[in-house]
Amino acid sequence: MRLKQGSLLWYLYLDKSYCLLSVRNVKALVEYFHLLDVHGKNTLNDVLFYHFLHHVTDLKKRQINLVFDMLDWSAVGEIGFEQFYVLVCILLAHQNHLEEQFMYRHSRTVFDLLDLKGDLRIGPKNFEMYRFLFNIQKQELKDLFRDFDITGDHRLNYQEFKLYTIVRINKLQKRQKKTEENAERERSLCSRKCRIK
Amino acid sequence: MEEKPSKVSHKSLDRHGSDEERKESVRSDIRDLWTTATLSQSELNTPLSDVCENFDAEGRSISQTRGWYGQGRCSLDEGDKASQKLRRSSSMEISQRKEDTASELKAEKSSSTSSLDIVKHIPHHAYWAEQQNRLPLPLMELMENEALEILTQALRSYRLGIGRDHFLTKELQQYIEGLKKRRSKRLYVIVKDTLGSGRPEPAQCHAGSPGPSLTPSE
Repeated sequence: MRLKQGSLLWYLYLDKSYCLLSVRNVKALVEYFHLLDVHGKNTLNDVLFYHFLHHVTDLKKRQINLVFDMLDWSAVGEIGFEQFYVLVCILLAHQNHLEEQFMYRHSRTVFDLLDLKGDLRIGPKNFEMYRFLFNIQKQELKDLFRDFDITGDHRLNYQEFKLYTIVRINKLQKRQKKTEENAERERSLCSRKCRIK
Repeated sequence: MEEKPSKVSHKSLDRHGSDEERKESVRSDIRDLWTTATLSQSELNTPLSDVCENFDAEGRSISQTRGWYGQGRCSLDEGDKASQKLRRSSSMEISQRKEDTASELKAEKSSSTSSLDIVKHIPHHAYWAEQQNRLPLPLMELMENEALEILTQALRSYRLGIGRDHFLTKELQQYIEGLKKRRSKRLYVIVKDTLGSGRPEPAQCHAGSPGPSLTPSE
């Protein structure tokens, strides 16, 4: 999933530590939302939502409909600004490779979004439907349910999900450390070679 | 010295009726005491109408900005009331007053050149719009163009899905036409400005045209 270059969302950015938009960015987003709010109800219906997402991303129709169903948590057939803001944060997190941080920081929100039935559990089917939003590979999803389904009911409750986000971000930080160390070693090797020459 | 502030504060508490009058008089005095350096700051407390008449070119009520400024003014008033009354009331504090005025004069002198420039060249309306925490015009233009593309596609879906005669389709159509008119007005102003001055200037077209948050006309 990629954002269209040159669109408004392309110019927005998330704060890397909290994975949220700045006030200035939110202000721009509010104006944008109001521009799309054609009928003056402070909401976007499914048609407007579809065309918005189709214009700014490369998502397919099936995926856009899934996202709409996920965000329409009141089942009113319309998306308010709150849901729109969450969607934009998810899109920007994906675009800027901040999925791990986003899920860690906002684990409760993400859990509630994926808990479509409202029974405080996420099943593998639901997670499979939406893994494209969080850049989770198929094998990674299988490993997730195998390693973190502590209760053994083949579903994740919130504690298990939170543990997964913590482990995922730990792995990310270790990977980043390793790449930094490797880069430093290469730099020191290059400098030694230059001195020898 | 310590007694005088408490006396002053008691007096101020007693005079509830004249609070508003006192605030107004204090505000005008504060403006006199302000250095002109503060004019260049974004968080101003001078009313825009004093500097830039008919500021709200997008048709939004000026009272909003004044209210925003009013909050800033009140907080400033609370901080300066005590200091002002000390200077006025006490004859023993003349030397302190002199020092204060001297420091103010120094600050004013240092910014005198910049203040003259600011007074001479009152900023453009677009600059003030940006300074008042509004979105930059190029960003607004980008948003409007993008919204227009999205809504034009949505209109096709509306016509296919619910028909041309449905009230939602008509509402969307009117909205799109309004958006296009606003865009063409802005382009006309830019062209007019470039022909008039010989160089491109930022658009200044929002006078009389509806703001982006308006609902479509019924």
